Amino acid sequence: MKTIGDIPDRQLLLFKSCMVGQEYPGVETSTRYAFDRLGVDYIINDEQSCCTGIGHYTDIFEGLTTTAIAARNFAVARRCGHPNITCLCSTCYAINKEACEVLNTDNEIREKVNSIFREQGLEDLVYEKDDMNSKANFYHAVEILLSKASQIQAKKKFDFSGVKAAAHHACHYYKVKYLDVLGNPENPQLIDTIAIACGADMVRWYEDRTLTCGMGFAQLHLNKKTSLQVTKTKLDSLQKAGVELMIHMCPNCHIQYDRYQPVIEREFGAKYDTVHMNIAQFVALSMGADPYKVCGFQTHSVPLEGFLEKHGII
Amino acid sequence: MNTALNKTAVFICHCSGNISDHIDINFLKKTLKAEGISVLDYEYLCSSEGQALIKNKISEGNLNRIVIGSCTPSKHGTLFKKCIQEAGLNGAMLEIANLREHCSWVHPDKAEATEKALSLLRGKLRRLENSQPLGEIKVDITPKALVIGGGIAGITAAVNLADNGISTYLVEKESSIGGNMAKIGKVFSPDKLAEECAMCSLSPLMNEVVANPKITLFTWTEVESLSGSAGNFTVRLRKKPRYVHDNCTGCGRCSRACPVMVENEFNCGSVDKKAISLSFSQAVPKTYCIDPDKCLQINGETCGKCADVCKSGAIDFSQKEEIVELNVGAVIVATGFKEYDATQKPQYGYGIFKNVITQMELARMLGINGPTKGALIRPSDLRTASDIIRSSTDTFESDSSSEDSSDHSDDTGTPKRIVMIQCVGSRDEKEGGNRYCSRYCCMAALKHSSLIKRKYPGAEVTICYVDLRALGFYENYYRAVQDMGVRFVRGRPAEIVEKPDKSLVVRIEDTLNQKIKELSADLVVLSVAMIPSQGTRKIAGVLNLSQDESGFIKERHSKLKPVDSSLDGIFVCGTAQSPKDITDTIAQAGLASIRGRAFITDSPKALANEIPTFNPLLCTKCEECFKCPFNAISLNESDRIVVDPLVCIGCGYCTELCQNGAIQIASFTKTQLKAEIEGELKEGDLLGFVNSGIASLTCDNIGSSVLTYPSNVKLIKVPTSLVLDKDLLLHAFKHGASSILFLEDPPDSPKAEVIYPLTVSHFEKLKKEMGDLGNRLYFKKAYVPNTKGLAGAFTSLAREGEMIG
Repeated sequence: MKTIGDIPDRQLLLFKSCMVGQEYPGVETSTRYAFDRLGVDYIINDEQSCCTGIGHYTDIFEGLTTTAIAARNFAVARRCGHPNITCLCSTCYAINKEACEVLNTDNEIREKVNSIFREQGLEDLVYEKDDMNSKANFYHAVEILLSKASQIQAKKKFDFSGVKAAAHHACHYYKVKYLDVLGNPENPQLIDTIAIACGADMVRWYEDRTLTCGMGFAQLHLNKKTSLQVTKTKLDSLQKAGVELMIHMCPNCHIQYDRYQPVIEREFGAKYDTVHMNIAQFVALSMGADPYKVCGFQTHSVPLEGFLEKHGII
Repeated sequence: MNTALNKTAVFICHCSGNISDHIDINFLKKTLKAEGISVLDYEYLCSSEGQALIKNKISEGNLNRIVIGSCTPSKHGTLFKKCIQEAGLNGAMLEIANLREHCSWVHPDKAEATEKALSLLRGKLRRLENSQPLGEIKVDITPKALVIGGGIAGITAAVNLADNGISTYLVEKESSIGGNMAKIGKVFSPDKLAEECAMCSLSPLMNEVVANPKITLFTWTEVESLSGSAGNFTVRLRKKPRYVHDNCTGCGRCSRACPVMVENEFNCGSVDKKAISLSFSQAVPKTYCIDPDKCLQINGETCGKCADVCKSGAIDFSQKEEIVELNVGAVIVATGFKEYDATQKPQYGYGIFKNVITQMELARMLGINGPTKGALIRPSDLRTASDIIRSSTDTFESDSSSEDSSDHSDDTGTPKRIVMIQCVGSRDEKEGGNRYCSRYCCMAALKHSSLIKRKYPGAEVTICYVDLRALGFYENYYRAVQDMGVRFVRGRPAEIVEKPDKSLVVRIEDTLNQKIKELSADLVVLSVAMIPSQGTRKIAGVLNLSQDESGFIKERHSKLKPVDSSLDGIFVCGTAQSPKDITDTIAQAGLASIRGRAFITDSPKALANEIPTFNPLLCTKCEECFKCPFNAISLNESDRIVVDPLVCIGCGYCTELCQNGAIQIASFTKTQLKAEIEGELKEGDLLGFVNSGIASLTCDNIGSSVLTYPSNVKLIKVPTSLVLDKDLLLHAFKHGASSILFLEDPPDSPKAEVIYPLTVSHFEKLKKEMGDLGNRLYFKKAYVPNTKGLAGAFTSLAREGEMIG
């Protein structure tokens, strides 16, 4: 079990995410906006590559390739003196953490990966057992924000009092390595705690709170109807609970809710009042960030203008 | 010839060939006699003839120091000590050389075994030259006991102690004894397929507590602190004011007159009692108690209605808190459990959905003295329902007079579909859950299902279980409940959903057919885990008792000492020790009272005298030794450093702490150990310093396991390796040790848990201090079953030593 006291704010490598970068770049800029103002020591390293998670879960990359690429990214992190890999996406988080465990415990795979590096003259990428610690070197950016919740509260420029919001926690954070998470994985409070620091009025419990977003990687494309049905179930529950803002922590969930809410409305003949945001965007907004230049709300499919106007931000 | 040896004699036991077949006793006799030492041998020294021989020789030869060569001292050490004491010698004047487990049984070569036997005897002879007589340490035990907690465990323990003639104080923090059992209307019984009335069993016991002249009862009282040591504890109690004197007759006029309704903890928080009340009608003592937070008069308003109607003048708003000090010899902790907080599982909606309750809340509801007078009612309908009850039973002169309720039929809000969920917070490895099984909940669910089915035959009861554990004779009960038509679904529900009409849907995977099910329910009952009560956690802190990882008070040994806590003289029973049902609690409480009584009646208690002695000439009173992990060392009234023989276990940590060499452990002084080393060691020996506990037992077991190791392995017993220092180790190397092994007890008991890490760091420190010689120091944990491993380690280290030599 992690504790807040263990969360570092030094030597972080802010691990870029393909989904964030392509779809919602505002999540990355919002995270940096908040980190800069919270005194977090982090860098972004352009040598870093994609974690392969999306490819891995859609059966394009097999495990060995994913592990080798992870080992390469670990070398990048160590070389630049920022070994605490901090992910914007919960899939990057789970993939990196799992790869680290495999590299530390499976001698055969580690040797195979290293022999590929050596054959290609990439000795500098070779991974020795315990070069990284799967528990101490891998974080989700939201954990860093949680460890700074009191500072966020002190520094907030805009108070979200009266905003009825609900959290959707990422399955690749809370369900993959459920014994190594902050708090109770059956009752995650990560997003709630940060959002409450920003003044939001969080819905304690809503039906299907533990349900996933429905994306299921390949499922969205292969079993689209089932995938969207799951998303619809969750959106229905939020509508029933009168939630105006749903806050999440993973770009996959973000895509599923934000890009597909209009699709579900069209295909199922439904109508939803809920808007969507990543917790980093919510924090940045409360700390005074520009909704477009920093938070990048222009890239969202469910327009946020109504919400922002209602609460006097624009 | 050494003059001291004139009066020393060696006795060698043949052990019917166990020793004499493998060791040349005549050679030993001849060699030692040539040195002027008298040696006698006998077939069985442990027989009464053998002991008579020893006693006679002592008086004939006016002997004052005795070495016995025999089996391990852990077998007959006490017997031989008693024997020489009967002959008028001090117990410290006896040394036993272990010629069997450490010699004849482990070294098959007779010449080698004989040579080693000789060195073992020489070691003991040299040691004995440096021994001093030790005084006996005895303490008187206060012949009184304290029982903390007035639930079924504490009541049983107190009544048993009193029945056995021990004056007993029983302390309860609530205003009445009875505990959780008093709340449960019916209890399950292993031998009958029926439920028994809990109060019918409990109430007579509660009354006996008051009637028994040997029991002094304190209710509304908490334990503040405990000082002193086993046998002589001083306990400080804080007795809260109940604002009602003992002359209260329990007539209840005050409660009827009181205008303030308050939450009733006994009824799981339902607002159905007055600010002056009994916690339940069978409360003991039957003295009313005022809730100081809710009483108008105490909070500055003018009321005093209760005092006006009281005919005995028992009400006294000026009553103050009292501090009571007691002296007791033994303490029994019976502080019980509380229910797991199910709000930690929000997917089950406890605290969010009204119709989700716990088994204890259901027990209250089914109890005829409960909030619904035994009627099963959906909590969401309770408001109207309680109005019915209030108007029909006329318990209170209700101020919220019954407005309607006439049109409600009897079964208003009676839930038709009841779903019970097992293992909520038990057998749950996730954060917030407990890994253990709570033991009572399967039976509680079966019992409540049975009660509901009997009273409401139309009700559908479903139990969602992980495994159903109806142990022993309870299996018959389980079968009977199955026959009643209660349904069982194997699986842990994922989530509960509330419908607009407040009914519920339980989502579950039936893991027997791997189908997702949605169970509709009017009422969901959570079988939540048993966790240590706040009282249990608090008392463990106040008394400084070891707890397990969940906070239950840890017993010293789960099989052999199941009710002894980590501290001498303090015992534990019931659910303060681990989750259990009433039957097991009563059995355990009986044992705790017997252990408590045995402790008290063994007075005056003779204590081990192998404890620290202080040389006042060297002691600078720096108080470093106060870092004793057992707090055995302190300054007395006359400013002298003293050790509490009741607490001290003689581990020797203080000898390491003392920078001035002022502390030595009696019987294990540096001089004695050095002498034994000189007498015993030969060039190239592996010297093992063996902890006198588990490690020593393991070494003995190598012999009884017919294993062997080289005869240049020499073992010297120490209380723990903490008594060793650099000087001693250098001495051993000088006298021939090729390497030295520290053999320690594993950290498997509360005391070893404290000592083991100290021995590890002590070893590391010595290894560093010894420089190059440090490479010849070894450390090993000895586990009793691992005799083979230990014999192997002895062999390889001894061979290594031969190479160095």
